[in-house]
Amino acid sequence: MSENENATPAPEETSPPKTTAVTDDSGSGRPRRNFVVECLAAGIGGLVGLVPAGIGSLFFLDPLIRKGSQPAAGTSAGTGNNPVVKNENGFLRLSLGIDALPEDGTPVRYTVHDDIVNVWNKFPNQPIGAVWLRRIQDQVIAFSTVCPHLGCDVEHRTSEGDFYCPCHTSAFDLEGSPLNKIPPRSMDTLETEVKDGRIWLKYEQFRGATSEKELV
Amino acid sequence: MIRSLLAWLDNRTGCNDLLHEALYERVPGGARWRYVWGSTLVFTFVLQMITGIFLWMAYSPSTQTAWESVYYIQEVMFLGRIVRGMHHFAAQAMIVLLAIHLIQVIIDGAYKAPREVNFWLGLVLLKIILGLSLTGYLLPWDQKGYYATQVSTKIMGATPVIGAQLQEVVQGGAQYNHHTLTRFFAMHAGILPGLLIAFLALHLYVFRRHGLTVHDPKYKPDTTFWPDQVLKDGVACLGVLAVVLLFAIFKGAELSPPADAAKAYAAARPEWYFLFLFRFLKFEAVEHLGLAFGAIYVPGALMGILFMMPLTAKLKAGHRFNVAFTWLVTFGIVVLTTLAFYEDANNEDHQAAIAEAERDAHRIKELASRPSMIPVEGAVSLLREDPFTQGPVLFAKNCASCHRYNGHNGRGIVLREKDADRNVIITKPVATDLANFGSRDWMRAIIMDYGNHFGPLKNAEWYQNLGDDDLNLDESEMADASNGYAEAFQATENAEDLKALVEVLVAMRKWPGDETTIDAKLAARGQQILDGEPLADGTEISSCTDCHDTIGSDFEFTGEGFGYPDLAEYGSAKWLKAFIRDPGSDQFYGTKNHMPAYAEKMTDEELDILVRWMTGDYYETHVEDYPSRLTEVFGSEPQPASDTSAAE
Repeated sequence: MSENENATPAPEETSPPKTTAVTDDSGSGRPRRNFVVECLAAGIGGLVGLVPAGIGSLFFLDPLIRKGSQPAAGTSAGTGNNPVVKNENGFLRLSLGIDALPEDGTPVRYTVHDDIVNVWNKFPNQPIGAVWLRRIQDQVIAFSTVCPHLGCDVEHRTSEGDFYCPCHTSAFDLEGSPLNKIPPRSMDTLETEVKDGRIWLKYEQFRGATSEKELV
Repeated sequence: MIRSLLAWLDNRTGCNDLLHEALYERVPGGARWRYVWGSTLVFTFVLQMITGIFLWMAYSPSTQTAWESVYYIQEVMFLGRIVRGMHHFAAQAMIVLLAIHLIQVIIDGAYKAPREVNFWLGLVLLKIILGLSLTGYLLPWDQKGYYATQVSTKIMGATPVIGAQLQEVVQGGAQYNHHTLTRFFAMHAGILPGLLIAFLALHLYVFRRHGLTVHDPKYKPDTTFWPDQVLKDGVACLGVLAVVLLFAIFKGAELSPPADAAKAYAAARPEWYFLFLFRFLKFEAVEHLGLAFGAIYVPGALMGILFMMPLTAKLKAGHRFNVAFTWLVTFGIVVLTTLAFYEDANNEDHQAAIAEAERDAHRIKELASRPSMIPVEGAVSLLREDPFTQGPVLFAKNCASCHRYNGHNGRGIVLREKDADRNVIITKPVATDLANFGSRDWMRAIIMDYGNHFGPLKNAEWYQNLGDDDLNLDESEMADASNGYAEAFQATENAEDLKALVEVLVAMRKWPGDETTIDAKLAARGQQILDGEPLADGTEISSCTDCHDTIGSDFEFTGEGFGYPDLAEYGSAKWLKAFIRDPGSDQFYGTKNHMPAYAEKMTDEELDILVRWMTGDYYETHVEDYPSRLTEVFGSEPQPASDTSAAE
C-alpha cells in the first residue's frame, strides 16, 4: 500500500493545497493526504466516466463521422415496377422522352421521382419535386418550379405566355428571365441531357431570395 | 480569484459542507477492497445511464422500427456495436455485482439493526434492476427477446385475481403491439431509472447515516473515503469497465432475427440469470402445481424470507439461519443454472434451433444491408419472403416425410424414430435426397445409376408389393436405358460425351447464373447425342428423346402424356412447380406416381419460395448451409452432393 510510503516528493506542490485549504477549514485531525493517491483516485475516477461518455459522444457524432464513407450519388440500376434509373453523375432518367414535349417549346410540367433513403428504410420512386420542361429543337431546358424569390410554386400562364408566381407576383419569360423586379434572379435551370431520345435530369434545390444561384 | 468564486458559491449553497460530507466519510480500519461492491454497482448504473441515453437517440420503439433501429445501431452506426455491447453487458455485470453485494451484506450482518431500513431499500433497488432487465430485453424486438418476454407477461397473467387485466395493461393490449414497446420503453428509460435514482439516493443517505459495517476497526489506521477508498473503488470500477468493454468488443450483443409472432422460436431462453427459474418451472412436479405456484408463490416466498431477514436476525440463531438460507438459495440457483445449460448443450433439437436462429440472424443482416434496404413493413417481411431461409422450413414441413436434403430434413435435423424394440433409429428416407436436384451430379446419376439414384424409394411401403403399374427401379424401360448408358459410358473415349450429355440436360434448368456456367460447346455436343449421333467410340445408344420427346422444347403444363415424365425445361422453376403441384399427371408419372399432389397443400407463394430455394434463385448469401448428414443417413454410400461443374 502506498499509504505509508509517501516519501516521493510531489513534483507540483502548487495544486494540492487548493483542496487541502478548502477542507482544512472544516476538517481537522484527518490522516495526512497522499498526493499520489489523490491523483490516481481522481485520474481513474475520471477515466471510468470519460471512456463511456467519449464512446457515446463519438456514436452521437455518427452523421458527421460516417458522411465521408457513404456514397454521395448512388446509381440506381432500376429493379421492380416503374423503377428509378439514375447514373453515376446523379442524372435521373425521366419517364417521358423528348418526343413527348411540344415542338413549339410550350412548357410541360413534370414531377421528378427518386428513391428516398430514410436511415434504414428506402422508399422507392417518391416524388421529390417538379420541373418545367421546354423543348428547343433537340435540346431540353428544365426550370425548377421553385420560385427563386421565396420558394412558392411557379405556374405557367398560357394566357400571358409567361411563368408566374401567385404568391408575390414574380413573373418570368419562357427563357426564365425576370419580367419584374420581384424575383432576385432568373428561374433556376437544371442540368439536362438527351440521350437516345430519353431525357436525363439532375434535380437540385437552390437557396431562395439570393441574387446568386446557390445549392442548398 | 477561483477561491473567492468558490467561497461566494459556498456562502450561498453550502456546497463545501456537502462536498466534505461526501468525500470525508470516515472509513474505520482503513480502506479495503471488500468495500468496493456498492460503488461498482453505482458505477454500472451510471454506465447504463450514459450508454442508455446515447442508444435512446437512435432507438425507435415500434414493431416496424425497433429491430430495424437496433440493427442500424449495431451494424451501421459508428461505434454502435460497442455502445450497445456496453449497455448489454453492463446490465449483466450489474446482476452479478448485485448478487455479490447482497450476499456480502448478509454474511457480514450488515442488514441487522440499525440498518434494517437500508436493507429493505436495497431489496427495492434489486427489484427495480430486475424490472430494468426485463423491460430492456424486449426492446430490440428480436425473436429472443420477444419470446422470452412473452413468458414473463404470461407469468404476470397467472397472477391470482388481477392477472388477465395486469397482463393486458402491461402489454397495452391483448396481444403484443406498438404500445407494448412504447410502454416497456417508458418503463425502461423513464420510470424505472427515475425510481432507481430516488431509491439509490435514499440508500446512500441511510448508508452514510450508519456508516460502513466494519469487521475489524483495528485492521489499519482509520482513513477517509477520499482518496484512499475512492482509489480502490475506482480501480474496481475500471476492472468492471474493462470486462464490459472486452465483452462488447469481442463478443458483441446478440441480435436475433426480427420478432415474428407467426414463427415460434424454438431456441427461446430467458437471459442466463433467469435460467434457474426457467429450469425450476420445467420440473414436472412444479409444472403440475401450476404456473402461479412456480413463478409467483415460490419466488415470492423466497423474497419474503429475504425481506424478513432483519427481523429474523433478532431471534436466536437467526443470523445463522439467514446466512445458511442465502447459501442454500445461491447453491440452488447455481445448480439449476448449470443443469439448464447442461441439458440445452445435450439437446440436439435445441442446438438445431439455435443453429437455425443464428443462420436467420446472419441472413437477415445480409438482406437488410442490400441496396434496396429495409422495406417500410419492417425487416421481418424480408425474412418471410426469403427463399434461402424459408425454403428449408417449407421443405421440412411438406417434403421431409419422404425426401431428405443432404440427409437432414432441410433444417439440419436428422429424423429419427423408435423401432419395435424401442431403440431410437434413423428414419429411412422413402424418396430421393433432393440437395443436388437439377445439378450435374443429379443428371449423371440418372443416366448412369438410375436404380440407386432413386433407391430410397425401395424403403417405401408401396415398393414392398410392387405392382405392374408402379415405378420399378430394376426392371423398367428407364432401368434398361440406364444400364445401357452405364455400359456405353464406361469406355474412356466416351468420358467427354457423358459430360456433354449431362451438360445439355443441365442447360434446360435455366437457373440464375447458368448463363455464365453452362459450357455451350459441350452442350452442343450433348445435343448431337440427343439427336442420335453415335458416341466417340462409335457406340449407338438409345436417346433420352426416344421416350422424353419434349427435351429441348419449352415446357408447358397440359396434363397430357403417357406417364413418361415430360422433361422439357427439366429442373427449371417452371417445370418443378408444375411437377410438385401434380406429379401424378399423365404428363409426369401418371399411374406410376406415389408422390402426393401439392396443388391444394401449398399456396402459390409457398411453392414459389420452395422452388426458388431449390433452384438457387435468391439474394446471394455467405451464410453457411447446414452440414451434410448424408453419411449418417445413407450409410457408407453417400450420394454426391456437390454440383460439380462441367470443367472438372
